[in-house]
Amino acid sequence: MASRYDRAITVFSPDGHLFQVEYAQEAVKKGSTAVGIRGTNIVVLGVEKKSVAKLQDERTVRKICALDDHVCMAFAGLTADARVVINRARVECQSHKLTVEDPVTVEYITRFIATLKQKYTQSNGRRPFGISALIVGFDDDGIPRLYQTDPSGTYHAWKANAIGRSAKTVREFLEKNYTEDAIASDNEAIKLAIKALLEVVQSGGKNIELAIIRRNQPLKMFSAKEVELYVTEIEKEKEEAEKKKSKKSV
Amino acid sequence: MAATFFGEVVKAPCRAGTEDEEEEEEGRRETPEDREVRQQLARKREVRLLRRQTKTSLEVSLLEKYPCSKFIIAIGNNAVAFLSSFVMNSGVWEEVGCAKLWNEWCRTADTTHLSSTEAFCGFYHLKSNPSVFGSCPRKNMQITILTCRHVTDYKTLESTGSLPSPFLKALKTQNFKDPACCPLLEQPNIVHDLPAAVLSYCQVWKIPAILYLCYTDVMKLDLITVEAFKPILSTRSLKGLVKNIPQSTEILKKLMTTNEIQSNIYT
Repeated sequence: MASRYDRAITVFSPDGHLFQVEYAQEAVKKGSTAVGIRGTNIVVLGVEKKSVAKLQDERTVRKICALDDHVCMAFAGLTADARVVINRARVECQSHKLTVEDPVTVEYITRFIATLKQKYTQSNGRRPFGISALIVGFDDDGIPRLYQTDPSGTYHAWKANAIGRSAKTVREFLEKNYTEDAIASDNEAIKLAIKALLEVVQSGGKNIELAIIRRNQPLKMFSAKEVELYVTEIEKEKEEAEKKKSKKSV
Repeated sequence: MAATFFGEVVKAPCRAGTEDEEEEEEGRRETPEDREVRQQLARKREVRLLRRQTKTSLEVSLLEKYPCSKFIIAIGNNAVAFLSSFVMNSGVWEEVGCAKLWNEWCRTADTTHLSSTEAFCGFYHLKSNPSVFGSCPRKNMQITILTCRHVTDYKTLESTGSLPSPFLKALKTQNFKDPACCPLLEQPNIVHDLPAAVLSYCQVWKIPAILYLCYTDVMKLDLITVEAFKPILSTRSLKGLVKNIPQSTEILKKLMTTNEIQSNIYT
């Protein structure tokens, strides 16, 4: 009897689970993949673009959003929940700038979003937000940051991470391939993000969207052509590596 | 029925037995019209096996024309995609017939002219080796069943977040002597619906059969889930049926693109 209602609202189950929060994490897995990489002088966000219906305006379906000039985030999960969280974060960024006369640090805005999410796991009659977010940016001290939040309201700093559908596969790829060499230059970091996404994106480069922030520069969204250029370069490198392998074995 | 404070609907227990009794008596008085309607409905809901193109009944000729040694059944869109791109792509498979059924949930009202795309189940046999296929219990027959299930149905001490989904589990009948290509399904997990029915039937009639169950967190058509079935290609039952794996992967990718448009709720 006790386990009947602890699945419907966010109260503890007898064995200490918050089922609604765990179910919210399943909702995140229904969103398409997003990957974030922290380089030495660059932070990269790559997402799998959803295919839009014919009559739908593509610009309104965006997974990567700027929160301020120096911070941006990608999310996976419920679209409407993301919109609410992003709006609140954007307002908070400006409010902070006006009050304290300094732009927010990446950690501050991540903590704000995480605290907001946690409140909804402890409120009467509300359900948790069904999104995970990857927040990237540069602080005033010039250090690149990447944070990840999840529906429970926890947040952690990462060197590279992935959220959404097949996030586990992408994370395993990153664990194997995130090396000092791989992030040595900006281009290499961008290629690593694209390679990680190509592991799980089902129709190749045309369904990948990419955004980067370089130190002291605003957010840059890549056009489809620019992404295609990188994808072609990656495919060339793959072919060359395979040729070398077959030569060695012969 | 009653609603609790938390919004949950529960069946209110009733110790007044007399309420139900009256309703039962009324129901027992069935008019001839009611009987007629019920019989018509039962006829509509019959499962029919039809030969390809001629639309004549398939059942009798199946028993005589297609004795088989291997029967592979795929249930669910990921399992079907695996079978059609990896197995059915190698060699020429001919559609032998299909099973059609109708019930009140079907969208068409017309039961006689269902097109082949609305068939519940299609039967195919390998032209070059007709012994691969059949649907009747015969000696020396081996059955392979492929299906998918959501990973949250998998009961384990670990949290579902740490499971390496998608992953494969197997369940076999007593007469199936070959080793499975993946770990067996542990207790207390159970199999549901059609795969369970087929496996139970095989166990009762002592037919060697094995069920490969893929636990995944993406129930709709997904490349990674379909590729999780690949270890099965090395087993004795499917060896020799699959020739060109890279080509199969290409065909699979094409299948994915035709199914792309998703709802707007999740991004």
